[in-house]
Amino acid sequence: MTHTKRFPYLFIAPAVILFCIFTVYPIISSFILSFQEMEGGQYVFAGLENYKRLLNDSIFWTALKNTFLIFIIQVPIMIILAMVLASTLNSQLLKLKGFFRVSFFLPAVTSLVAYSILFKIMLQEEGLFNNLFMMVGMDPIPWLSDPFWAKASIIMAMTWRWTGYNMVIFLAALQNISEDLYEAASLDGAGKIRKFFYITVPQLKPVILFAAILSTIGTLQLFDEPYNLTEGGPADSTMTLGLYIYQSGFEYFEFGYASAIAYTVVIIVAILSFIQFKVAGDDK
Amino acid sequence: MKKLFGMIIFVAFVLVLGACSSDSSGEGDSGESDSGKEELTAWAWNINVPVLEMAAEKFEEENPDFKLNVVEMGTSDVYSKLTTGLQAGGKGLPDIVLVEDDRFQGYINTFPDAFANLSEMGFDEQKSKFPDYKTELLTKDGAMYGFPFDGGPTGVFYRRDIFNEAGVTPEDIKTWDDFIEAGKTIKDKTGKDMIGLDLNGDDGLYRMMLTQQGTFYFDDEGEVNLASDESKKAMEITKELKDAGIVKNTVGWDPWISAMTEGDVATAPSGAWLYGSITQQGKDTSGKWGVFKLPAFEEGGNRASNLGGSNYVIMSASDQKEKAYDFMEYFSTTNEVQVEAMEGGLFPSLNTVYDNEIFKQEVEFFDNQKIWEMFAGEMENIPAVNYTGDYAVAKDEAVKAQSKIVNGTPIEEALENAVKTLKNRTQ
Repeated sequence: MTHTKRFPYLFIAPAVILFCIFTVYPIISSFILSFQEMEGGQYVFAGLENYKRLLNDSIFWTALKNTFLIFIIQVPIMIILAMVLASTLNSQLLKLKGFFRVSFFLPAVTSLVAYSILFKIMLQEEGLFNNLFMMVGMDPIPWLSDPFWAKASIIMAMTWRWTGYNMVIFLAALQNISEDLYEAASLDGAGKIRKFFYITVPQLKPVILFAAILSTIGTLQLFDEPYNLTEGGPADSTMTLGLYIYQSGFEYFEFGYASAIAYTVVIIVAILSFIQFKVAGDDK
Repeated sequence: MKKLFGMIIFVAFVLVLGACSSDSSGEGDSGESDSGKEELTAWAWNINVPVLEMAAEKFEEENPDFKLNVVEMGTSDVYSKLTTGLQAGGKGLPDIVLVEDDRFQGYINTFPDAFANLSEMGFDEQKSKFPDYKTELLTKDGAMYGFPFDGGPTGVFYRRDIFNEAGVTPEDIKTWDDFIEAGKTIKDKTGKDMIGLDLNGDDGLYRMMLTQQGTFYFDDEGEVNLASDESKKAMEITKELKDAGIVKNTVGWDPWISAMTEGDVATAPSGAWLYGSITQQGKDTSGKWGVFKLPAFEEGGNRASNLGGSNYVIMSASDQKEKAYDFMEYFSTTNEVQVEAMEGGLFPSLNTVYDNEIFKQEVEFFDNQKIWEMFAGEMENIPAVNYTGDYAVAKDEAVKAQSKIVNGTPIEEALENAVKTLKNRTQ
C-alpha cells in the first residue's frame, strides 16, 4: 500500500528535478545576481545600484519604447489577421482546407534564426523585395538601414512567423462554437459579417485573451529577429529589451545589470497580463 | 508487473541523465585519451584550426606525451562559451583559447584571473620577436597574458579592371582626399561605387583610421576619446565618402565580400586577412586584384594601420598550464609554423618570419604584386592603441554616432553626445 502511494512521486520526480535545476535555480540565482556587481572578477553586493542605473539608462528606455511600439502595432495586426484567416479556413465552402492550414502554420515551425537570415537576404538593398519594387517602377526601400523601415521589417518578419501559430489556436477554438448559434442568427436574418462580430468574436474572447498574453510575453522577450536582422540598429532604433539583456551580459560582461533588466521585464509582463485580464473582464 | 515496468523506466531515465552530465563535464577538462596520454583541449575557429592541428602534430613528434584536441567553433560561440565558463568560475573551459585583439582587454579586465600569466612562465624573453602594438595589447600591469599570433596590417584592396577602365592609378592615391576624388572619377566613368560600407552596423573603416592616427576610442590614459580631432577627421572622411555618393550600402559580411568579388565596388580597405576570403570566393577573378597602403590624412603621413588579428591564451583553470605553455611558445615563435599559418591566410606577427622567401614572392592572384612584402613592411609602423576593457560598449556608441552622422547629425554634436553616453556607461 505504501508503495503505491509513493509510486506516483517517483514518476514525476524526473520532471520535478529537471524543473528545479533548469527553471527554479536560474530564477532564484538571477534574482540574487540582479543585486550584485562584478568588481575585479568577484561579485559583490551592490544593493539597488543596478536598478537605479536602469532608470537613467537611455538605451534601456529606447529599448522599452521600441518594444512597446512593435508590440502595439504588431500584436493587433497579427491577432486580427489570424482570426480572419482562421474563420476563412473554418468555412464549409473551402476546398483543400488541410493544405491551406498547413501552409499558414509552416512558418511557425521554421527556426527563428533561419527565417531571420532569409528575411535579411530578401531585405538587402538589392534583395528580392527591392528588385520586385523596382520592376514595377517603385523606388527601392532602405529596409534595414533606415530607423523607420528597420522597425517595419521586424514587424513584417514577426507577423509572417507568428500569424499561423495564432491561427491554429483560433481554429481550435472555432471548432467549439456551437453551430446552433449561427443557425439561430441566420433565422433572425444576420449576415456573415454580423455573425463574425456578434457570435465569433465574443465566443472567442477567452482565446483572444490567451493569444494576446502569449504574444505580449513573446514580444517583450523579442530577441532573434532584431539580433539577426538589424543587431538593434540603425542607432538603437530596433534595440529591444531581449537584445539589450543579451548584449549587457555577453558583450559587456555585466551579468548583474542584465539580470536587473530581465527582472524588470518580468514585472512589466506581470502588470500587462494583469491589465489584459481586467480589460477582458473575465466573468469567472 | 506494472511496478516493475515503472521502475525500469525510472532507472533508465536516471542512467541517461547521469550519462549526460558526466559527458558534458568531461568535455572541457582534459580527459585521458585512449593511449593514456594527457590530452589538452583548444578552442579556435575557421582557418585557425588546421594551422593549430598541424603544429600540434609536429610538436607531438618531439614530445610523445603531448596530444592536442582542437575543437572547432564559430567565433561568437567561442566568446559565448568562454564568457559563460568564466562566469561559472572557470568550469568547462579548455586549456587554450583563441581571442581576438579587440576582445582581449575586455576579458582580462572583467576576469583578471582568467588567463595564465605568461611573463611568470618565461615569455618575456620572446617579447622582442613581436611588434610593440601586439605585446602592449596583451600586457596588464606589466605582465603578458597572451601569445601574439596573427595581425591585420591594413591595405586598400582594389579591382585593377575597374581602376583601368576609369583610368585611375593607385599610385596617385596618397591621401584620403585623393581617394574620394578617385572614387568620383570611377563613379563617373564606370557607374560603380568606390567602397562598400555598413554605415549603420560596423565602423571598421573608422577604427582603421583611428589606429592609423595613433589613437582609438580611448586615449593612452583610458579616457574617452571619441570627440578627439583624430576621431572628427575620420568621421569627416566617412561622411564625405557617403555624401559623394560613392558608397554602396552592404549590410553584413557576405554582401560586402560579394560586392567586391562581383566587381560592384572598386575597393575595400581592410586587414591583410581579407586575402583569404577574396581568393576563396572570387576564384575566377584571379589577376584582377591589387593592394595599396591606406591613404594618409595629409601627404607624407602614416599609412600603416591594423584591423583585426588574434592571440592565444592559456586558461588559469587548466591543470596542464606548463604543457600548454611549452606548446604555445613553440607555436608562436617557430618560423616553420608561422609560414604554414601564412599560407593558410593568417598574417603572422612574429617578425623573425618576414625574411622567409614567401614574403618576397609575387602573388598571381594580385597580378604578381608582392603584397606580403608590403604588409610585412607595415608591421613595425602600426601604432599601439589602447583598446581597454570597455571596447565593446565604446564600439556600440561609435557605430551609433557614425550612423547618426551619415544620416545628417552634425559631426561635433554626434560625437559629443557619444562621449557623454559612453562616460555614463563606463563609470
